[in-house]
Amino acid sequence: MTLSLTDSTWYPIASSDDLPFRHVYQGQLLGRELAVWRADDGNVNVWENRCLHRGVRLSIGINEGGELKCQYHGWRYANRSAGCTYIPAHPADAPARRIQNRTYPVREAFGLIWSAANDDQPFQPFPGAETGEWFPLRPIPVNAAPEDVLAGLVTLAPDDQPADILPGLAVRLGAAHYFVQPVDSNRAVIRGLLQGQPEDAVTTLRSYNETLTKLRDRLERAARKKPAPEPLQPSFEQVSVDLATMPDIAIPRGNTITVVVKRKWASADGIIGFELAPREGHLPTFQPGAHIDVHLPNGLIRQYSITNGPGELLSYIIGVKAESAGKGGSKILVESVREGDLLSISEPRNNFPLRRDAVRTVLIAAGIGITPLLSMARFLDKSSLPYELHYFTRLGEHIAFRPELEALHGKVQFHTGLARPEIAQTISQTLGEWSHAQHVYVCGPSALLESVRVTAATQGWPEESIHFEYFKNDKVIDDSSSFEVELARSAMTLQVPAGKTILEVMREAGLQVPSSCEQGACGTCLTGVIEGECDHQDVYLNDTEKRANTAILTCVSRAKSARLVLDI
Amino acid sequence: MITLYDFELSGNCYKLRLLMSILRLRYDVIPVDFFPGRQHKSDWFLKLNPFGQLPVLKDDDLVLSDSGAILAYLAKKYDETGLWFPDDPAITAEILRWHAIADDITATASAARLALGFDYDFDVPKAQAGAHRIFRLMDEHLWFGEREGRDWLCRPAHPTTADIACFPYVMLSEEGGIGRQDYPALRRWCDRVRRIPGFTIMSGIFPAGRALEQA
Repeated sequence: MTLSLTDSTWYPIASSDDLPFRHVYQGQLLGRELAVWRADDGNVNVWENRCLHRGVRLSIGINEGGELKCQYHGWRYANRSAGCTYIPAHPADAPARRIQNRTYPVREAFGLIWSAANDDQPFQPFPGAETGEWFPLRPIPVNAAPEDVLAGLVTLAPDDQPADILPGLAVRLGAAHYFVQPVDSNRAVIRGLLQGQPEDAVTTLRSYNETLTKLRDRLERAARKKPAPEPLQPSFEQVSVDLATMPDIAIPRGNTITVVVKRKWASADGIIGFELAPREGHLPTFQPGAHIDVHLPNGLIRQYSITNGPGELLSYIIGVKAESAGKGGSKILVESVREGDLLSISEPRNNFPLRRDAVRTVLIAAGIGITPLLSMARFLDKSSLPYELHYFTRLGEHIAFRPELEALHGKVQFHTGLARPEIAQTISQTLGEWSHAQHVYVCGPSALLESVRVTAATQGWPEESIHFEYFKNDKVIDDSSSFEVELARSAMTLQVPAGKTILEVMREAGLQVPSSCEQGACGTCLTGVIEGECDHQDVYLNDTEKRANTAILTCVSRAKSARLVLDI
Repeated sequence: MITLYDFELSGNCYKLRLLMSILRLRYDVIPVDFFPGRQHKSDWFLKLNPFGQLPVLKDDDLVLSDSGAILAYLAKKYDETGLWFPDDPAITAEILRWHAIADDITATASAARLALGFDYDFDVPKAQAGAHRIFRLMDEHLWFGEREGRDWLCRPAHPTTADIACFPYVMLSEEGGIGRQDYPALRRWCDRVRRIPGFTIMSGIFPAGRALEQA
């Protein structure tokens, strides 16, 4: 028998006991090295043992509970998806990428962790597996060919009770089932299971251990006398050029995902929680601060922040404000969408990235603005990074996600019923004077954002240390100008008259341009600027980005110059 | 006043830095250029330790050598808890047994590392095979320890100098081409050592993540 790299048989690769809290196990199957780790939610991940950045083994990385962090340059990958969630050298860039490590199928059953080289075959328990409880023996690695190890196990059978060969390099010898894990062409691990818990567990384990150790020594002596077979040569996929270079701009992807409303509940007075689950598998990787577009039954699209912590991909939880005077977006979600309904959502996008290299992180929220900051706090919490969260509400019953906030270990402060001057004073005291590597993140009504921005600026916080995300653009848009736009890549020149947006004019000319909020808040229509002077009217770009004059939101912003050349 | 004659990349010197960090002892460092300078064979160093080996530790006028002996000295003199080198005769014997195994690890795993990284003329396959033999036995010892409620190399419910003595050259074994994939219980013990309060790192020995349930 020759081992094949494409063998789709499920083999055990570890014992359940090999994966204690926050450990990363190093394994190997059919020549491929594996990093195996259990997240805090119990999910077992089997990944290629290689960071996509510099190829360093992930088995020496750090299990942070919901993410695995590479030891070398700190890239983080999410539980379940193995999607990259953070690149320290480019803290704001990760969202633009779709970096995802290679994952292998996994199943935890009978006290063992099972995996396969590919998912061509569904997992099938060994014959008789479902009939009882199973007790794993100490695994015995053997430096010999897997088929020789299987043959060696067969010789352990007593004369009157022949061995029962099972599919997939396995054999039953009386009370014991043995599985041979093909590590490589000349290496194997014997993994045994006994039916039922033995009375004196340790004595039984020692006895089997002694028998198998003797067999191992015998097999290794024999293997040394034979020429060693060539090791298997798995090929490793290269990271695509697309991922290996810096993207210029976050291009929205436009794919939608159908989700089921799994749960809908009143999280606070006036705030409704929605749990959105995929119909199968898990949802895409997201970064803290990310939001999704929700396509509403009435055709509108609205953005909602994901509140989840790291590696929580079985569902997204969002919070929706029940505004009676709402424009029909949130209102329809709150009033008409019920548990069990299907909704379309976009893949997550992040306009509000969280740095994880801060000495001090201050999170300031008011009202429904808690949602992205709850996610940020959960990420920092899991990684034991310092943070403080200040949550302003008018009344105690307005505090959304209270149990989730109270489960955090960091400094979480509720500020209830403060008058405006008191809020301003609290913000001022909380921020204090800026010093190196302090960052503040703020989300809430425009008044709070302005208050934090102004206070932080007067207390010496530089612009790049103040992070915020607008829900909506309260500015009055001045659309009185008229100008010419040249679309460099589309080879078109268009006239934008007063009263029409660049976006509208482009669409009328037949271009397909993605957009979402169409009020200069979400960043979906962000387009590169090659020439000309922008008249920025959005709330998405920060002042530095606006001054750079390299990108424009075509849904509200216009030109100060007579002509604008866009990279589209 | 404690002075350590130290080479940064030496696992044997690191054993002392590690225990002194855990015991929160203050000490001075005198760097000795083991490689490539071979200062441990220079006249001034041979006056401190005629065997020409690092580390050497001076405590006021007392001059000590051999990492295992110095670990015992530091624990007995400065560890007020008495946990790192307990007085109980049976436990003392158990610890000294592991100090001897630590020297065997130095003679194998560290020798392979010196050959591959520091141009030493040692028999690499022989050193690697010797290290694998020891690691197999340690893995078995630690695996059954986990079943019997023992997290450390010796019987007490806390780490001792035995763990400090054996840890560095296990953790640095990859630099000598000795993988630890086949020793899952040994790898878990490495996590536990790296989570001892006061743990400190050296080149090639990374910190472990936090593992408190309330992380």
